[in-house]
Amino acid sequence: MKAGTAEKTAARMLGKHRKQGFILAFLTPCTILFLIVYAYPLITIFVTSFCSWNYENFTAPEFLGWEHLFDNYIKLFRYDANFKMVLMNSLKWVALTLLIQVPFTILVALTLSKKMRGWKFTRNMFLIPNIISTAAIGLIFLNLYSPARGVVTEICNYIWPGSDVSVLSNSKYAFWGVTFTFVLFGGSNCLLLLTQIFSIDSGIYEAARIAGASDWQIDWHITLPLLRPMIGTISVMAANYGLLLYNEIALITSGGPDNATYSLSYYIYKTSLGSTKLNFARGNTAGVIQFILGIVIVCLINRIFRSDTSD
Amino acid sequence: MKKILALLLASLLVISLFAGCAKQTNAPSKQDEQPTAADSKTEEPAQKPADAELPTVTFVHGYYHDESEWPAAAQMRQIYQDFAELHKDEFNFVAIADESGAEGIYDTALNDISGGNFYDIADFGGWNIVPVASAAGLILDLKPYLDEDAAFKAGAGVCYDQNLTADGKIYSVREQIEAVGFWYNEALFAQAGAKEPAAWDTWADFEDAVSALVDAGITPFGLNAGWPTNILTAGRFQADAATRAFYSRGADVDSFDDPAFREVMGFMQENVLQKIDSANFGPGGDDDEQYRNDFFDGKTAMLFNGVWDAGGSVDCAAGAENIKPANFPTNEPGKRASLMSGGTGFVVSNSLTEAQTAACIEFIKYMTSEEIANKIIAYGIGMAPNTNVDYATLIDTVDAPEAKLLVSACQLCMAADYQALGLGNEFGDFEGEIQAKYAGLKDGSKTVDDVVSELDAVIAAS
Repeated sequence: MKAGTAEKTAARMLGKHRKQGFILAFLTPCTILFLIVYAYPLITIFVTSFCSWNYENFTAPEFLGWEHLFDNYIKLFRYDANFKMVLMNSLKWVALTLLIQVPFTILVALTLSKKMRGWKFTRNMFLIPNIISTAAIGLIFLNLYSPARGVVTEICNYIWPGSDVSVLSNSKYAFWGVTFTFVLFGGSNCLLLLTQIFSIDSGIYEAARIAGASDWQIDWHITLPLLRPMIGTISVMAANYGLLLYNEIALITSGGPDNATYSLSYYIYKTSLGSTKLNFARGNTAGVIQFILGIVIVCLINRIFRSDTSD
Repeated sequence: MKKILALLLASLLVISLFAGCAKQTNAPSKQDEQPTAADSKTEEPAQKPADAELPTVTFVHGYYHDESEWPAAAQMRQIYQDFAELHKDEFNFVAIADESGAEGIYDTALNDISGGNFYDIADFGGWNIVPVASAAGLILDLKPYLDEDAAFKAGAGVCYDQNLTADGKIYSVREQIEAVGFWYNEALFAQAGAKEPAAWDTWADFEDAVSALVDAGITPFGLNAGWPTNILTAGRFQADAATRAFYSRGADVDSFDDPAFREVMGFMQENVLQKIDSANFGPGGDDDEQYRNDFFDGKTAMLFNGVWDAGGSVDCAAGAENIKPANFPTNEPGKRASLMSGGTGFVVSNSLTEAQTAACIEFIKYMTSEEIANKIIAYGIGMAPNTNVDYATLIDTVDAPEAKLLVSACQLCMAADYQALGLGNEFGDFEGEIQAKYAGLKDGSKTVDDVVSELDAVIAAS
């Protein structure tokens, strides 16, 4: 009896070791790739944010020393008015994607899930802005906002004759002008939500209908709670888009007017590569702050949308 | 069976990864690398096989465009080809067109510099690689070669003084320069009864002309929060000795709280930006060229752009015959100013052999020679810095109307009493900070005092 138990235990241990071996074998390539592709640049960014690294010592970043360790961070927060502006802009874009894009996308997904006439066409139309390049989108919006011939200016002139609103040249409107180049385009996220909605067991809906629930009640009490993890996912994606905004800025406004549309990503580019000073250290410092912000935002969103089995 | 398959797959993944890494380490060095079409660089098609006995110099440039897309590019390639042919018995001159253009050449150079390498010779087309490359000790000082050859120095023209560094070195000269005055529509000026820019004595005439144009219902100019407004700002800075002195300090200014700067910004706000409606003021992004289109469509009376925009007059709605060049007035009656920026052009590695270095110097001499300067202007490619070009003769030798226009624009710029660098060349990163203030100055949300204090804050942060 004892020998039999020992054999079983040994076999179980062998199986466990083999399983661990397989897991290790599959994880090793991914881990190595992760370390090379992600971790190395990330560590470099962190390390060089405590260095002096610009055109004068381009080939060899110099450690600032323990006494001046946080000089780059201090300069960013204490002296650089542009940085405060870009930080605020980027945080506003994060908030706006969460407050406008995500709810709007959920609304569209819920509407399309009813499969009303033309729903496929509408879904595809909603997806189009996500499959064409941001360069093309930028050009389209530049024409829409053109003070000379843009539709937006024409509409404003119709409502307020002679107003000649130049959306992108006015620091009061430019931020919103740029925001609307991306904030309503949640086609890809809508597709994810639709896939999730269609995978919900239809029996649940049938039971709800038999119990006399209205469409609104079904959406509110069944669909939305079941979509909660996916809403969390699309919120992370949308918030990241807002935080990392670059293309639209570079193409349409170059951060202007008066830095009203200056984003964190564009600041990093301008500081590091868009200047003859090639201040990589300060650009990387801003990169570290962007990274930390990204992590904080993802954690917050995950916390909010975390599925609780007791619910 | 499943376990065996899984084991095989996992092993395959690991092997592939290490095999990939191994291939990386065996990659050919830069010296061994031959340019291929696949890496977006194209060797000139007519290039003959290199003679192994002769020294070889590889020259990288950004004129990759097809002739139908940009005829000037084909003409530049032909010029390089002619040089290679001319010296085929002395050295192999391999010209490579980088299809990512001057910006791509700059980016590649940055990568190379971080590895301690540099092109043999490259044309950076205005992208300023000099500070970083010279700090890394990788590029050749051209000053001794310029100083020992008067013709070479004359060919370099304004590049000699403009590219002279604080430690007395010249790392780059260019066969073309950014020459900037402005263009005007003669018919619209006549319609408004305004004095034409060619006859302006001082900036007061500019103000009168703008008022006359506005009164006649003609938009004086289109601008945006960038390039064209920067040109006008730079032009206005040449008005008198005080503004010129402030301007020449450029990126070295320790404060913008200076009467000269305040005066120019005040002028820009009241007499320029607030003289046009918002429909004629664009945001200034990469794609924003409305100000230019409006001029060639005959909707605005002046265009602030370089001499190269002579090409825009071809078949334009404004009528090619109405498009005229001008340079800037000053506040010294009758004296004129233009912007002439040499910028970064040819830069040579300092790790070449003596023979290779000699070949590179020979090439730069050739490119800045009077012969090539004449070709560059006559072909309508741009303006050359060479001070020996005889524009009066040259204008008779060119046939195309736009080429004649270009020659006359170049002549005006070269003949100006004051020649200054462009705003970006003079103020470096501050250019972007200054241009960010135009929108606020235009809509009145910002005063000159605000601009001064905000720019001083930027100085403090840098």
